[in-house]
Amino acid sequence: MKIASYARCAAAFAVSAAFAMPALADETCNSPYMARLIKGQEDYLHVWTLGMKGVGDESDKLVTVDANPKSSTFGKVIHSLSVGGRGEAHHMGFTDDRKYLWAGRLDDSKIFVFDVGTNPAKPKLVKTITDLAKKTGYVGPHTFYAMPGRMLVQGLSNTKDHGGVTGLATYNNKGEFVAKHDMPTAEVGGVKGDGYGYDIAINPAKNALLTSSFTGWNNYMMDMGKLIQDQEAMKRFGNTMVLWDLKAMKPQKIFSVPGAPLEIRWSLNPGDNWAVTASALTSKLWVVRPDGKGEWQAKEVATIGDPSKIPLPVDISITADGKGLWVNTFMDGKTRYFDFTNPDAPKQTYEKVTGSQVNMISQSWDGKRVYITSSLLANWDKKGADDQQFLALYHWDGKELAEQWRIDFYKEKLGRAHHMKFTAKPQKSAAADAPAKLALRQ
Amino acid sequence: MRAIATLAAVLSLGAAAHELGGPVMDFVPPPPGSYVLQAIQRAPAGRVVDAFGRTAPLAAHVTGRITLLSFVYTYCTDPTGCPLAYEAFVTLRERIARDKSLAGRVRLVSLSFDPTNDSPEAMRAYGGKFATATDVPWHFLTTRSVGDLSPILDGFSLDVEVELDEKGRETRVISYLLKVFLIDRRGVVREIYTTAFLLPDMMMNDIRTLALEEGARP
Repeated sequence: MKIASYARCAAAFAVSAAFAMPALADETCNSPYMARLIKGQEDYLHVWTLGMKGVGDESDKLVTVDANPKSSTFGKVIHSLSVGGRGEAHHMGFTDDRKYLWAGRLDDSKIFVFDVGTNPAKPKLVKTITDLAKKTGYVGPHTFYAMPGRMLVQGLSNTKDHGGVTGLATYNNKGEFVAKHDMPTAEVGGVKGDGYGYDIAINPAKNALLTSSFTGWNNYMMDMGKLIQDQEAMKRFGNTMVLWDLKAMKPQKIFSVPGAPLEIRWSLNPGDNWAVTASALTSKLWVVRPDGKGEWQAKEVATIGDPSKIPLPVDISITADGKGLWVNTFMDGKTRYFDFTNPDAPKQTYEKVTGSQVNMISQSWDGKRVYITSSLLANWDKKGADDQQFLALYHWDGKELAEQWRIDFYKEKLGRAHHMKFTAKPQKSAAADAPAKLALRQ
Repeated sequence: MRAIATLAAVLSLGAAAHELGGPVMDFVPPPPGSYVLQAIQRAPAGRVVDAFGRTAPLAAHVTGRITLLSFVYTYCTDPTGCPLAYEAFVTLRERIARDKSLAGRVRLVSLSFDPTNDSPEAMRAYGGKFATATDVPWHFLTTRSVGDLSPILDGFSLDVEVELDEKGRETRVISYLLKVFLIDRRGVVREIYTTAFLLPDMMMNDIRTLALEEGARP
């Protein structure tokens, strides 16, 4: 609990701009249930980083970078918090109050809870959750998605055979296990579920939860070169997306989306009713939306690069107005921009090589700043000189990406740079900005 | 008159919230009893004071009936904050009162974030006619101090700031996220609503789902 100085003003709830109400700020990939959205300039970037043997302290860590151009340490690493060991650090997610970051490891399934709200310049590890596998039978906590008072965690694998059949776990904000929901393997809406999982995206106005599908521990922990030679292993990738009734937590429909659909993003433009994903192995963009009869459908809408060369689209970032989409392709190191003015027929309008290998991409609400990192998975990252590990800031003026700075994570002895999240300095008390009191009490 | 003025002012702010683009419900909610509400956590212990100055454990106000609990300030002006929650509660109160299957099974609770300014008298004025209604009890609560309030807020995992006066005394807490808690008769939180999900139709279905779970008449 924080202490604030005295203010002679009416207090007010600084209520989050929830999804069903027009979103107002922050990264476009966050849960719609989050509060304290960042309006304007982010102050810090937190990078969940994989430890590497022979690099620095060799531990997985949360790296904090100063992201405010007015700061004397702009573009510099200002803090690093090692958690001990290497467990395949991967993705993170904020709690609904934006105070904590839950960060997961895909190998040992540990979940680290960092307080980034009290002093975002110096995060603190406040809790380590270690019971996911025991409570659920799931392995590989991938996506952390805030619900009111809870965290929805998408697994990638399971304890039985380390394949891709997995499920969703719910924890309360205290870090206590609440419930589990297996990904469907039966037929729903004419399509058989493969039981695989990857990302989560919720549209509260539609009571809709969308999930996608990747692969299990046997594959994501395997060396990439060995994996692509293993024909049987290459068959074990997800080929579906699932639309869930969010309230009931029941699958309503399964879509056939071949080739491992990964990140999912709902358009945040008020009135829009669609979500987009990219399929990694088939190199396609897919849009999920209701058809003219109100029936939800998944439709392939664009091709990314030359699929025969397997550019491997990975992370995507949708613009706040839903009119544009950044897509990173890992193998050719390209950052691509798609014009989504017509989501049924998006067109690539720009591309730039931003690294030898690129994965995550995060943009500011106004779209002017784009951050990119390099690592995909420890055993899938490239080798030798192509194994660049970095965080880079680009400016986007609508026509060209211009690099401002790049942090070499090898040079800084940090490790493999993966998932990013923005924070800002603690804002003034809401009371200081509140409107005048009504004469409710006299 | 002041109580009526208070209610009118608060409700007008809640209505304004919808005009500003309040929560949208573009779906048909699943029927009551067709789904299970998860046991999220147990409501914390604590000591509160009601609108008539009587001290009691929080448990007395969140067990024995299905409870909807909201945190408020009597002077809150953000139209998408507590007035929205207040409007939802007024709507729900009317619907609950009309539903014979819920008779005697549901209560509403509004608990203040501000022990210094929101005295029992202030809470009674804020509640107006609802503070004494018997058909659907609506408890307007405060606490004697921030020290009494803090464990309750921590227990609900609410991230708040404690405000100090010029002498360093704790006066009230400031919250950044509207949350309403649905608690079953055992005192277990079964649903949490933030603004995007403060939908009376959905909340009624959740209340009825808990009632069905308890074995109420459908």
